[in-house]
Amino acid sequence: MAFTIVCPVCGIRRSYEFRFGGEDKGPRPEEDTLTPATWCEYVHLNNCVAGIQKEWWFHRDGCGSWFTIYRDTTINQQVENSIDETNP
Amino acid sequence: MKRIHKLPTFRIHPEQSLTVNFGKKQCRGVEGDTIATALYANDVRIFGRSLKYHRPRGLYSLDGECSNTLVAVDGVPNVRAENTPAVNGMTVNAQNVFGATPEFDMMRFMDELSWIMPAGFYYQTLHKPARIWPLAIKHIRKAAGLGVLEPDFRMKGKFDEVHISTDVCVIGGGPAGMCAALSAAQQGLRVVLLENRPWLGGAFEYRPSEYRNGLALYQRAKDLSKDVENTTNIRTFKNTAMIGSYNNGLVTAFQRGSKSEVFTERYMEIRAKSTVVATGCIERPLLFENNERPGVMQIGCAHRLARTWGLLPGKKAVFSIGHDLGIEAAIDLADLGLNIVAVADIRKDSYDSNLAEELEKRNIPFLSGWVATRAHGAKTVKAATISTINATRHRKFTCDTVVASAGMTPVTGPFTVAGGKLRYDKHTGFFLPYNMPPRMHIAGRILGLDDPLSIETSGRVAGLKAVSECGIPVKNLLRETQENLAKLTGPSRGTKLVSGPIKGKEAFICFDEDCTLKNIDQAMHKGFDVPELIKRFTSAGTGPGQGGIPGHNLPLYIAETGESPDRNPRPTTVRPPLVPTYLATYAGTNHDMSKRTPLHETQKAAGGRMERIGVWNRARRFSSDKNAENEIDNVRRNVGLLDASTLGKFRIFGPDALKALQRVYVGDMSKVRGDKVKYSAMCNEDGCLIDDGIVVKIGENDYYMTASTGRAGQTIEWIRYHTRYDGWKYHMVNLTDAYGVINMAGPDARKVLEKVTDADVSNQAFPFAGYREFSIQDVPVRAMRLGFVGELSYELHVPSSYMQSVWDLLENTGKAFGIQKFGLEAQNTLRMEKGHVIIGSESEQRTTLHDLGLGFLWYRNKPEAKTVGAFALKDTEHQKGRLKLVGFKMRDPKSRVPRDGSPIVDTRIRGYVCTARYSTAQKQPVGMALVDDYLSPVGTLIKIYEDGCRGNLMLAKIEPMPFYDPEGKRMRS
Repeated sequence: MAFTIVCPVCGIRRSYEFRFGGEDKGPRPEEDTLTPATWCEYVHLNNCVAGIQKEWWFHRDGCGSWFTIYRDTTINQQVENSIDETNP
Repeated sequence: MKRIHKLPTFRIHPEQSLTVNFGKKQCRGVEGDTIATALYANDVRIFGRSLKYHRPRGLYSLDGECSNTLVAVDGVPNVRAENTPAVNGMTVNAQNVFGATPEFDMMRFMDELSWIMPAGFYYQTLHKPARIWPLAIKHIRKAAGLGVLEPDFRMKGKFDEVHISTDVCVIGGGPAGMCAALSAAQQGLRVVLLENRPWLGGAFEYRPSEYRNGLALYQRAKDLSKDVENTTNIRTFKNTAMIGSYNNGLVTAFQRGSKSEVFTERYMEIRAKSTVVATGCIERPLLFENNERPGVMQIGCAHRLARTWGLLPGKKAVFSIGHDLGIEAAIDLADLGLNIVAVADIRKDSYDSNLAEELEKRNIPFLSGWVATRAHGAKTVKAATISTINATRHRKFTCDTVVASAGMTPVTGPFTVAGGKLRYDKHTGFFLPYNMPPRMHIAGRILGLDDPLSIETSGRVAGLKAVSECGIPVKNLLRETQENLAKLTGPSRGTKLVSGPIKGKEAFICFDEDCTLKNIDQAMHKGFDVPELIKRFTSAGTGPGQGGIPGHNLPLYIAETGESPDRNPRPTTVRPPLVPTYLATYAGTNHDMSKRTPLHETQKAAGGRMERIGVWNRARRFSSDKNAENEIDNVRRNVGLLDASTLGKFRIFGPDALKALQRVYVGDMSKVRGDKVKYSAMCNEDGCLIDDGIVVKIGENDYYMTASTGRAGQTIEWIRYHTRYDGWKYHMVNLTDAYGVINMAGPDARKVLEKVTDADVSNQAFPFAGYREFSIQDVPVRAMRLGFVGELSYELHVPSSYMQSVWDLLENTGKAFGIQKFGLEAQNTLRMEKGHVIIGSESEQRTTLHDLGLGFLWYRNKPEAKTVGAFALKDTEHQKGRLKLVGFKMRDPKSRVPRDGSPIVDTRIRGYVCTARYSTAQKQPVGMALVDDYLSPVGTLIKIYEDGCRGNLMLAKIEPMPFYDPEGKRMRS
C-alpha cells in the first residue's frame, strides 16, 4: 500500500520513490561517552510507536535529500506535526 | 439457436460472424459476443464441472461472479468466459472434466458420494493413519481444483501498468456513477471513471422500462454516457475491474485491453483526492435444491442475454424472484417470446402491483409468497418445483429455465477493503456502511435505491461531496441536491429470505467451493458459530468469486438459525483483489533494466561473455575457457586491459566535505593528498565492511572518490544519511556514468602508457599509489597506480565519451607487447591470489574489518568525527568466536578446486569457502575462506564439504596470504 509523502523539495509524491530511514533518534551520540548498551540503544532499538512518529525518509528517485516527516503508523499516512516536541 | 431480431439495446453485430471452438464443437457466434454468450448461442449449457462433486455447471450471472464459467482459453486456465470477448478461432476448453465433453464426466459419481463428505471431511478423516495422507492428497488434487497450469507455462500477451493522478475517482459507470462524474467534472475537476463492463450504463443500459416522459431507461443510459464521453475532463476506463482501495485515496484496478489497445491487460493505480463508490448491486442467489443446475440463472443474466445479445435463455421458464427487477424482466422476456409458466415472488406484499398487473395481462400466473424449492433434471433443468413459503402447497412445472434470485446485494467490497465498516440494515436487508473510510462516498443502488431519479440524484450528491473535498465551495448546490434527493423515493424494502422450505442437501450456498446449506449446518453442529469461522471450515466464499455468491447469504442464514451468539448478521471480510487478477497483470512490464558500460558493444563483439553483475552487464571472460587461464597468464607475463567502468565514482566538495569523509571512512581522511590515493573502507554501525575505495584530493575542499560497483547506487544516500543532523555544507556528484575506467595491468603496462602520453610515467615520477592527471592524445585522464590484481597497473578514469577511443589506442599500441583484454573471471583469480577481498564475496553482513584482517585501515584517534562503525570496531577488536578470513591450499595439490560457498565442517559447520580457483602461479588450487577463529592459525587442517560428496570431505590447509608476490614488489615496480 503506497501512501504519499510530501518531499520538502519535490512536493507530494508516492512513497515508492522514497527509502525509509528509521525513527528520528536525534544526532549521533559522542563516541567517547558511548557504552555498548547506549550504542546498541542508539543503533538498534526503536520505539515502534503505534501512533504518530517522526521519521526519516530519503527521496531516492527524486532530489536525493533526507528529511523528516510525521507518520501515523496506525493508518500508515503522513500527518501534520501534532507531537509536542518539548514534552515527548 | 436463433437470435432475436434486432433490438435497440444490442451490443452485437449479427452480420459479422465468428467461430469459437469449444472442445471439438464448433460454435458460431457474432461480433460482440463474449465466450459465454457465443457458447450459449450454440446450445452449450454445461460449461464445466464443479470443484469437488463434479456437478455440471453453466451460465449463471454474466458478470463472472462465480467459477461456473471459468474455462481454459488457448492454454490459459481459469479465464472468465462471461467477461472475455469471443475472438474468431479461439479454442475454449471446459475445466475439471474427466472425459471428452463436460456433458459426460467420469468423476460425476463424486456427486453421489457427497453424503459421505461432510464439511471438513478431509481434515477430519484422511489423517488416520498418517500414511494415507500423501496418497489421499494426490487423488484429491487430481479430482479437485480448477484449471491446470503446465509447469513450463508462459503467459502470452503484453502486460502494462499505469499510475494515474486525479481529483475524483468514480468506481462504477452506471447512472449514479455517471452523474457523480458529471457533477464533479462540471466543477472543473479531473475525474477518472472505472467501469467493469465494456460499456457504461449499469442497470439502466439494457432495460426498456420507462425512465420519464416516455424515455426508456436504455435511452437515458445512452444520453448519460454520451455526456460523459463528451466531457473532456472525465477519463473513462471501460473493461476495468476495480480490485482494491486503500485509506489514502489509492484505488487499484486492472483493465482488459480491447482489440485496438496495445496491452492485453494493465494494472492501474489511481491516486484520487476523493472517491465515489457507485458499484450498485449484484443479485443475491436464491437457495433451493439444485440451485446451480445449468438452466438456473439470475434475473439480470436472463434479461441481458436477450436484450444485449439477442438470446432467449430457454423456451419455457419458471421465475422465482424477490425483487421488482424480476417482474420487470419477466414481462420484457415474455414480450420477446419466452414462454413463462409462472412467476413466484418471495414477497407477500411490497412488490409493485402495476408490474404484477402487467403479468396478469399476459396470462402469466403471479404467485406471491411462493418460492422455488427444487430444480429437476440430471444435467440441465427439466422441471422446477415451487412451494409456498410455509411449505403447505407445492407445484411442479416442466421447464428448461429457472430464473431465480432472492433479492439484491450491494457490492460493498470497494470501500470495506479501505476500512469501511458494515452494519446490517433491517429496511433494505443490506449490509450498509456505518463508517466510511475518509474521502469516500457511496451512491446509487448500493444504498438500496431503485427509483431511477433517486439513483441519479444520489450520484450527484456524492459527486458534489467529492468536489467539496477537493477544495471547491459547492455548499449551496450540495444542500439543494440533497434536498431534492430527500423528496424522491427512498431505499426500497429488501427481502431477507435465503431459501424456501428445503433440506439444503443440494442447495449450494457457494458454487466455487461446492458448499451446501447442509455443510453450513454441519459446521454449526461442530460448534462453529460465527460466519468467519464457518467460512474457513466449509471454505464457503473462498473461491475465485471472493464471496460474490455466498457473501450475503452466509451471514443471513447463520443469523436466521439463531445459533450464533452474534444475532446481528455480520458479513465476512473481503480482501483485494476483489476480482481474480492474473499474476502477469500485477507483474506488469519487465522492469529489469540494466546498465552498459561505454565499451559494451566492442567487448561483446570481441567475444566477451556478458553477465549481469548487479545493475551492470560485464564481460566475464573472452574465451570458452571457464577459468580464463590464458587471460590470467597474459596479465602476469605481459599486459592486459580490463573495462572497470562500473566502479562508483563521486566528487564531494564544499567547506565541510572533509568532515563528511571523516564520518563515513574509517581511515584518517585529513591525510588525503592531491598526488596520492588513499585507500580506505566504509563500515556500517556494526563495524562490518560495506564499501572500500580510494579518495584523492583534487582541489581545496574538493575530493574525488571511488566506491565498489555494487555499492555505487547507495553511496550518496549513505553519506547524506550519516550527516543528516549536522547541517554540513558539502555537495556530492555521482560521476559513475560520466567516467569510464580502464585498468591496464601487467609488467609491460608502463611501456604501453609511455607510448600514448607525454607525461612522465616512470616509477619515480608516478610511483605506486600515485595520482596524476594528464592527457592521452588530448583526452584528459585521471590516472592512479593501484595493485588490485598484483601487477604494475594503471587505473585510467576517462570521460565516458572518449572511452572507446582511449581503449582502442591502448589496445593498438599494446599489440607489440602482447596486450589482451581480460574479464572479471581473470580479475577474480588474480586478486584472490593476491589476497584482496571483494565485498560480498569475502565478506558478508556480519564480517567486520578485523575479521578480514583490514583492521589497520581504522584510525582510532578521531572520536570527534563520530565515525560510523568506529565504536563497534573498538568493541569487537579482540572479540573471540568470530569468522575470520583465511587463505588455504588443498592438501593434495592435484585435488580439484572446491566450489565457492562450500561449507567447512567438522562436527558442525565452521565456515565456508569464499573464493577458490586454480592458481597458475602456484600450480595448485588456492582459495579464501571465512572460518571459525580457532581454525584460523596457519597450518590448521580444514575439511570442505561439497554437495553430493557423500561424506568424502576435501582436505585443505590454512596458508598465509597473499599467495602471490607477498612483498608486493611487482605492483610497486
